[in-house]
Amino acid sequence: MGTARYIARRLIFSLCLIVGVSVILFAMINAIGNPIEILLAERPGITDEIIESVTKYYGLDGSVTDRYFTWVGSLLRLDFGTSIIYNLPVSEMLVTYGLETLKIQVPAIMIALMISVLISVLAATRQYSRIDFGVIASAMVGHSLPGFLLGIILILIFSYSLGILPSYGAYSTRNPLWGSDTADALWHMVLPVSMLVFFNTATLTLLLRSSLVDVLRQDFITAARASGLPERRVVFGHALRNAFIPVLTYLGILFGLMLGTAPVTETVFTWPGLGALYIMAIQQLDYPLIMGATMIITVMLVTATLLTDIAYVAIDPRIRLG
Amino acid sequence: MSDATLPVAEAERPQRAPGIWRQSWYRFRRNRAGMLGLALVTLVVATAILAPWIAPFAPDDQSAMLRGAARRAPDAVHWLGTDRNGYDVFTRMLYGARTALVVGLGAMTIASIIGVTIGGLAGYAGGMTDELLMRFAEFFMVIPVFVVILAVVRLFGIVVVGTWLENIPNLNLMTIIVLLGCFEWPPIARMARAEFLRLRHAEFVEAATCIGTPKRDILLRHILPNALPSLIVLVALGIGGAILAETMVSFLGFGDPKAVSWGQSLYFNYEALKVAPWSVLSPGAALFVTVLGFNLLADGLTDAFNPRLRQ
Repeated sequence: MGTARYIARRLIFSLCLIVGVSVILFAMINAIGNPIEILLAERPGITDEIIESVTKYYGLDGSVTDRYFTWVGSLLRLDFGTSIIYNLPVSEMLVTYGLETLKIQVPAIMIALMISVLISVLAATRQYSRIDFGVIASAMVGHSLPGFLLGIILILIFSYSLGILPSYGAYSTRNPLWGSDTADALWHMVLPVSMLVFFNTATLTLLLRSSLVDVLRQDFITAARASGLPERRVVFGHALRNAFIPVLTYLGILFGLMLGTAPVTETVFTWPGLGALYIMAIQQLDYPLIMGATMIITVMLVTATLLTDIAYVAIDPRIRLG
Repeated sequence: MSDATLPVAEAERPQRAPGIWRQSWYRFRRNRAGMLGLALVTLVVATAILAPWIAPFAPDDQSAMLRGAARRAPDAVHWLGTDRNGYDVFTRMLYGARTALVVGLGAMTIASIIGVTIGGLAGYAGGMTDELLMRFAEFFMVIPVFVVILAVVRLFGIVVVGTWLENIPNLNLMTIIVLLGCFEWPPIARMARAEFLRLRHAEFVEAATCIGTPKRDILLRHILPNALPSLIVLVALGIGGAILAETMVSFLGFGDPKAVSWGQSLYFNYEALKVAPWSVLSPGAALFVTVLGFNLLADGLTDAFNPRLRQ
């Protein structure tokens, strides 16, 4: 099977995934009945007429299938409806909060990648040395330490004990640090990004080290060494490139894991991101917001998976497509 | 008496190579990380079983609240202090091991049943069935599982109001367990499929087919036992993962308010992190030890079952 056909197949599969999630989500939300009735249930002075008109206002009348197709139609026009609780366009909220989430996750994964390359080269080139065992042991421990616990420990140390880093939020409400908004925003990013970096570095290091150990034992590395290449070029030029292939597939998974657990990360740091927004939405049954946020998270995840699938083929033509 | 005769009996028996389980145990015993994992898991299991005998207080004892001793730092009476609800932190931590294990084992039992059935079917049947089932599994691997679980737990809590389901004790916890099981099966299915594919044409399976063994017996008595080692590793990993997931769901406030779980403690006490850090750190440490234990155990088991992987 050709590369183009493979990519086309992955694309179609990704689309099916997104449609599948949208159907499940819609069915689930509709299983609870009319959300307006639940939302207004305990308010005094609500008559049936009011419920009926509010239901109509949010387009919640009509049959389930009709509403599903109306919803999908408006999704395609990037219209996610209006949040019931916040009375703001959902698409606008998703962009604002989504950018806050990416603001900590993208730098975190970049930094983690750089650190783990350095550490795993250090460990793999000295296999079974003390450094190697130290790296494996600490990576294993770091891999098992749930991210949010690390976040709590960081807050205890750096915010409560030392009092040097802010424990919550993305910005100061007044008096930004050093009078500069940028410095203030960066300062708030330090703790959440460190937590994500630690979490990702541990996992990436475990993976990259074992991959590098495997590659360094292969014949072409011996050949490169025999031809008199300096060790630095053998490791960084030849071995690392090949060791990266399994890591690359894992990057998509890692990104998905970070995005999937964003609700936890952002609760720990009270970070105004997509995860925190999602929690608010399901707590308050903000129907359009729940659906919009879930769809965005799904699309981001599916895209990440698709990109890694494609990159995988692009890097290593030996991969059997199927 | 019987002890004295045993060596003679052993010596007289023809020498037989130790089976796969015994061989694996010999290898596992030499793996320090794996043994540490086994020790940690044993500790957690022992804690869960013995909780009523070692816990200094009852899990629902809030009497410290009445004495004005809530959020008290660790002392001789309350070894790990009290939390903002007046519970003894140490007691709640011990009892939390029970919930954690119930969640881990329950979720992975469900996941194993679904995973082995689907994966085994795909691997043994092959062709179109295989293709469809594996795409189905992939679907569950790509969707944002944690996010979906949060929404389902919340919505299901509303759906059941007024139905017979409401009378099930700890319904919320049950929901989480079943959901985790229903979402964590794809890795098991993939492994089961790979193993069934590998074993389908193994010599002993063909031999069994030749002497007319029924298909069901071939699948359940010849192929499945040989696929078990690889599956056990995944189950051990999954138990840790399920416990972590339940804790995160509870930490976000979607857990079972009636259950004594680490996630519930984290949720109730996180607001008091600054004044009573021990009430947050203790359940957190318990969670970490448990997850680390299962991860190390799974790692050790991988090495023990597949010695060729380790070089």
